[in-house]
Amino acid sequence: MLWLALHFPLLPLEALSLRPSPSTIDSTAGTGTTAPTVGISATETKAGITTIEPTAGTSAVVSRGRVLACDRLASEAGVSAGQKLSTALGLQPGLAVFERDVLRESAALTHLACWAGRFTPTVSLSPPAGLLLEIGGCLRLFGGVAVIVEAVLNGCAEQGYSTRWAVAPSPLGARWLAQAGAGEIHAELPAMQSALAVLPCRIPGWPGEVEDRLNAFGLKRLGDLRVLPGASMRRRIGNGPLDDLARAWGDFPDPQKPFIFPDSFACDIELPARIEHAEALAFVGQRLFAALAGWLHGRQLLVRACTLLMTHDDATQTALELRFAEPAADEGRFLRLLREHLSRLTLAAPVEILRLQADEVVNKPGASAPLFDQAPPGEGVPACLERLRARLGEAAVQVLGQQADYRPECATRSLDVAPTLTRNFAHFLPSTAVVAVNAACKPQRPLWLLPKPQVLAERSGTPQWHGPLKLLSGAERLESGWWDQGEKGMAGDVRRDYFVACNPAGQWIWIFRDADAWYLHGLFS
Amino acid sequence: MDLPDYAELHCLSNFTFLRGASHPEELVKQAVVQGYTALALTDECSLAGVVRAHLAAKAAGLKFIVGSEMTTAMESTTGSRTIESTAGPGPINSTTARTVNRLKLVFLARNRHGYGNLSALITLARRRAGKGEYTLYRGDLESFAPSGGVPDCLVLWMPAEIPSVADAVWLAERFPGRIWIAVELHAGPDDVARLEVLQALSEASGLRLVATGDVHMHARARRPLQDVLTALRLNTTVFDAGYALFPNGERHLRTRLRLSRLYPPYSLAETLKIAARCQFSLDELRYEYPEEIIPAGETPASWLRAETERGLQQRYPMSVPESVRERIEYELALIAEMTYEAYFLTVYDIVCFAREQKILCQGRGSAANSAVCYALGITEVDPARSALLFERFISKERGEPPDIDVDFEHERREEVIQYIYKKYGRERAALTAAIITYRTKGALRDAGRALGFGIAQINALTASLAWWDKREQLPERFAELGLDPAAPRVEKWLAMAEALRGFPRHLTQHTGGFVISRGPLSRLVPVENAAMAERSVIQWDKDDIDAMGLMKVDILALGMLSAIRRTLDMVGNACGQPLKMHEIPPEDPATYAMLCKADSMGVFQVESRAQMAMLPRLQPRNFYDLVVEVALVRPGPIQGDMVHPYLKRRQKKERIEQISPAVDAVLKRTCGVPIFQEQVMQLAVVAANFTPGEADQLRRAMAAWKRKGGLEPFEQKLLAGMAANGLPEAFARRIIAQIQGFGEYGFPESHAASFALLVYASAWLKCHHPAAFLCGLLNSQPMGFYSPSMLIQDARRHGVTVLPPDVSYSDWDCLIEQSGDVRLGLREISGLNMAAAERIAAVDRKNRPFSSVSDLAACANLQRRDLDLLAAADALSSLAGHRRQAAWAASIEKSVAVVQGDLFDGRSFLQETPSDLPVPSEGENLVADYRSLGLSLRAHPLSLLRTHLAERRFVCAADLKMAGHRALIRAAGIVVGRQRPGTATGIIFVTLEDESGLVNVVVQPQLVEKQRRELLGASLLGVYGQLQKEGDVVHLLAKRLVDLSAWLGRLETLSRDFH
Repeated sequence: MLWLALHFPLLPLEALSLRPSPSTIDSTAGTGTTAPTVGISATETKAGITTIEPTAGTSAVVSRGRVLACDRLASEAGVSAGQKLSTALGLQPGLAVFERDVLRESAALTHLACWAGRFTPTVSLSPPAGLLLEIGGCLRLFGGVAVIVEAVLNGCAEQGYSTRWAVAPSPLGARWLAQAGAGEIHAELPAMQSALAVLPCRIPGWPGEVEDRLNAFGLKRLGDLRVLPGASMRRRIGNGPLDDLARAWGDFPDPQKPFIFPDSFACDIELPARIEHAEALAFVGQRLFAALAGWLHGRQLLVRACTLLMTHDDATQTALELRFAEPAADEGRFLRLLREHLSRLTLAAPVEILRLQADEVVNKPGASAPLFDQAPPGEGVPACLERLRARLGEAAVQVLGQQADYRPECATRSLDVAPTLTRNFAHFLPSTAVVAVNAACKPQRPLWLLPKPQVLAERSGTPQWHGPLKLLSGAERLESGWWDQGEKGMAGDVRRDYFVACNPAGQWIWIFRDADAWYLHGLFS
Repeated sequence: MDLPDYAELHCLSNFTFLRGASHPEELVKQAVVQGYTALALTDECSLAGVVRAHLAAKAAGLKFIVGSEMTTAMESTTGSRTIESTAGPGPINSTTARTVNRLKLVFLARNRHGYGNLSALITLARRRAGKGEYTLYRGDLESFAPSGGVPDCLVLWMPAEIPSVADAVWLAERFPGRIWIAVELHAGPDDVARLEVLQALSEASGLRLVATGDVHMHARARRPLQDVLTALRLNTTVFDAGYALFPNGERHLRTRLRLSRLYPPYSLAETLKIAARCQFSLDELRYEYPEEIIPAGETPASWLRAETERGLQQRYPMSVPESVRERIEYELALIAEMTYEAYFLTVYDIVCFAREQKILCQGRGSAANSAVCYALGITEVDPARSALLFERFISKERGEPPDIDVDFEHERREEVIQYIYKKYGRERAALTAAIITYRTKGALRDAGRALGFGIAQINALTASLAWWDKREQLPERFAELGLDPAAPRVEKWLAMAEALRGFPRHLTQHTGGFVISRGPLSRLVPVENAAMAERSVIQWDKDDIDAMGLMKVDILALGMLSAIRRTLDMVGNACGQPLKMHEIPPEDPATYAMLCKADSMGVFQVESRAQMAMLPRLQPRNFYDLVVEVALVRPGPIQGDMVHPYLKRRQKKERIEQISPAVDAVLKRTCGVPIFQEQVMQLAVVAANFTPGEADQLRRAMAAWKRKGGLEPFEQKLLAGMAANGLPEAFARRIIAQIQGFGEYGFPESHAASFALLVYASAWLKCHHPAAFLCGLLNSQPMGFYSPSMLIQDARRHGVTVLPPDVSYSDWDCLIEQSGDVRLGLREISGLNMAAAERIAAVDRKNRPFSSVSDLAACANLQRRDLDLLAAADALSSLAGHRRQAAWAASIEKSVAVVQGDLFDGRSFLQETPSDLPVPSEGENLVADYRSLGLSLRAHPLSLLRTHLAERRFVCAADLKMAGHRALIRAAGIVVGRQRPGTATGIIFVTLEDESGLVNVVVQPQLVEKQRRELLGASLLGVYGQLQKEGDVVHLLAKRLVDLSAWLGRLETLSRDFH
């Protein structure tokens, strides 16, 4: 066994992908509600402040008010891990500061592990910021340790990760050496042991108490520790550290928990023959989607979005993004949707490779399969929405949701996905009973709101709309929304008196008056 | 058109925290502008804002009503009551408890009695809930409850959306003839319908309707701020607060025109009837002193005279000097005239208690340095020994109670507080409130939160507001963080933060201001719970209490008193006869000589950098010089530009000008420069014809003008007055400039005298008993400017031998050994718990010394952790050899605990100490010492580095004395202090320590900007600079800084940053 240990010292920072990586292709421009991957979005709130832009260079990740990691320029300015944020900002006032995002770190590590699978099937995670690759089994395939190491390091660098590494016969030895930044290949035990012996006694993961005690004994290097009688040491610092030493030195076996591939789905098919017509892809696509459905089933997951990536013979690619109105795992539905899309697609060039990847998956709610194949009648609203979207375009079909905002124009918002529980259209239209209850405690609002209030003419103080208007209610005063005043595309601070009015033709309308004029804002019927 | 008259009866100020969006004063002002007949302030279960509103209303001639809004708690009827209600056929409700509607009520005080009942009701609701909360039950409104149905209060009821007639009937029964239904119309979706509902309710219950406004702000423009407060209250952002915000800005003091369009006329007229029935004014409150301090058969006057006489006999056993006798008679007459005897006797009682308990204390404040207080032992400032003039003693015109603050030993103040609670009961004694208001940082934080800025952004902004940042620099700070200060959202952040600044945020307890009353305090002012258990605070702060004429005694904590008491005890033990503070020999030349050399580390008040720089210039030679010294080095006199004129004249470099005999008499004792508050007041009287009362108003205006302005009228009056007395205008202008500089930092002579006494006492002890003084200081830590390490270094430079802590010799506290050397206590070991140390000290080590570490562990019942800490501090060396062996030996105790029941006997491992544990080097020992003790008695770290330093031509502190003025010098040392005085714009003082002493470095702002990193980051700092010498005062003006910290390895040094 030979282990390549990788350690990513700047993972907290690099996992935030401050630099937009070239691989991200923004194919969903416009409609996406997903946060952009750049910079501050990690700490962004609903308010959507995007005024901070990652400055060139100095940035740092903080956790509980202390610096966790910072980039090279920042550390040159004196910023270092463990520093108080205020000190760091004192040293580098322009420092861009990001809150730590543990989820992103572990996702990044998982992705790296997936990716590492191309070198060896035996990959282990060594959290929080490391990987272990067993490379002893694939040396011949790649042509030697140095070649593999170089390939791995190049790969890490391409993905934008700073990497420390070491190769050693024991996994823990390799890990410690990598963390210490050794960057050496020790194929044999004795070489590794002598390298380990000079490492300082500060092992991440050992309790602080152990370090203090070793310090109190004046023991500085791991080698000093090995020299002392083991039994005495065990009584003083506990078994954990000494067992660790034995594992690192290779005295004890140290089986690693293998990383289980993959938590996400991606599958390629190299096409036996070039395919020139989109419809013909459906046949091959069927196999991919069958695999996806099987994978989803096995993992009890649902997919919300996936991408079909077509690599053409000129090495260009076309991405076909498939979004589902509700997370799904049903093969038949995948295929219907695929056919809808493919029937609209004209291939720019023949396709060589077809790749399907699950972009967004969610856990399956605990629903059981229908008993005796009693499928629910009809496809339901979501499936219908998907087909409408496929035919009319994403933007043409929207679902409205309520939003707590006094400003009528802000009281609704369009939802990307239909509420998952919705099964039929009845939920979209409130039943009469519901209307009656709402009317008692909620103000009267018209069903139809004009996209933009329309100025009304005024004659002798009376607003006109197809004739003079009669005000039927007292003024309802709405003053709200100062918080987005002056921002682009926002409703801003609204100050209006609203009235229900009626024109001579008997049409009921909703009008308001502000400091300037009368406006028509909605129609009741 | 005739506007209807109106009185607003439901109005919240920002003392209803996170609801009201206007100050009480703003509300009063706006009510006047709108021509309201009256205004009630009805903060939620609070009277915290009423004094301010009352004062403002009185000044503006507006009728003011005291009230409070309260909402009853959700209650559910359970048990028997439910069964009763369902006694009918089916057991329908037996499982579902019926909930009772919450009642939102406003209580208005009709008269003094009603006010007392309201205050008591608030106290009741507050005392049963946690800090900042209240709980009111319906039952509290019953006539049989302690509040007795809140008689003499009028009640307004704000019914819920769907009102209950049952509630109306219930209320009508409880408050017959004094309850109304409040109609609050805010241009909502359907005001007409709402009004109809309430009218129907009124007909069904017979209660009348009254118009109220549910006012949350004084003007419509506060709507954004009100939304921000709402979002903060709900812990969300304004974007997400949704319908929790008010739909519009109608909840302000609306014009009567607007009201006349919204409300039916009869409901507006009803407000006036209610206002007319409320005839209470806060001016009716009469404070009464407690009675029990006077023995039966005595009157306050006779008892005060008797005790004063008795005190005089002790103070002057031979005979009372004529001047003192005269003074006493004058003061007693004045006290009698104002009937303040009880106040003096109350303070006297507290001081007597402290003296019995051997708690050192000293009074200060306007009245404290009177001859009466000296006789009563409240102060030690001898009227015969000093030439002080106490014009501020009691001002007849002010009619406000005298002011005595009493400092106690900081660790024993709690005993005094508990004594007061015990003596007067919790009903009659409570702490004054301190109103915590939003400051820049908090306002930015909360405004940012409400506007949806991320925690990281807010932290970045507030964290970068390091202590030298000014508010004007905020836009720059935003820019540095990549936020465009002109972006709308950022602009709003700034605007909201600015508006929020100065808003009260919550009530907390004043450090020690006690209010004691004759009757139950809760009928005078509401009492609520403080955050600390067993503490209660009233809802008024110090200014409110002043305005209302309540008596307050400040029970304060002072670390130096603890240190002095301990030092005196130690000196007493050594001499075999107790030494008291007033027995310290006065006017000792050696003590003054020491101070003149700025050798004052550890001495009260004069140990700061600025004071140390002043001492050699001022050359104090008598007690009064110390009084001046204390008052002179303060922001007030420095900003008022009084220091240099004073020094020049004192050093006879400038002539003292003659203005007029009256003025000269006032200023003679301070060389013609006003230094004390009292002098400014006296000047106003003698030079500008102020009455003493006016002079006192001037003093108050001085204290507040930076915050509130309002000095201009006095300026005119001063100028006019001085001109009328024929004084030169230049002089008048200068005095005015000095008054402005004084600002809130003006220091009264009476305080300075009390402080000077402690300066002298501590300086005398340092001069004559340096070892005991060191022990006293160390045992009273944390206190003062300097770390234990610096104090010890200083004492060693004065020839005191200091020995390291050792389990075989040390107690918890530092002590003086037979030899006269100081033995450090185990208290210096960081992390060691006191109980463990005391168990060690309890062992009779003289007769039965510890034989080994395990013997120690067994005798003193020590845990592994204790032993580790002792080993790390090298305090086991007498038992186990060098610290690594000690650590090894100490850690075996773990196995004793862990392997108990094992085959091996834990003690057998004692033999296995490996001989090859390396002996720590001197440097390693130093690092370990600093780590564990924060100090080291070994060689100074710099002495180990001296050869390195010398190679780079760094000289040591002692050599600086040899070098000449303007010499270019390199010095290096451990940074032991960084200080940025508020007065010196942007300059930072750094203190470096090396093996020979301290180097005072001055870093100018340009260099601060340029070398921030070195300045803030370095623990070992090298300074290339130029020497500035003025007499004995030596500064190194930094030109370049180098961070030498790497040389120290891991040496941890303690640096204290002072603000």
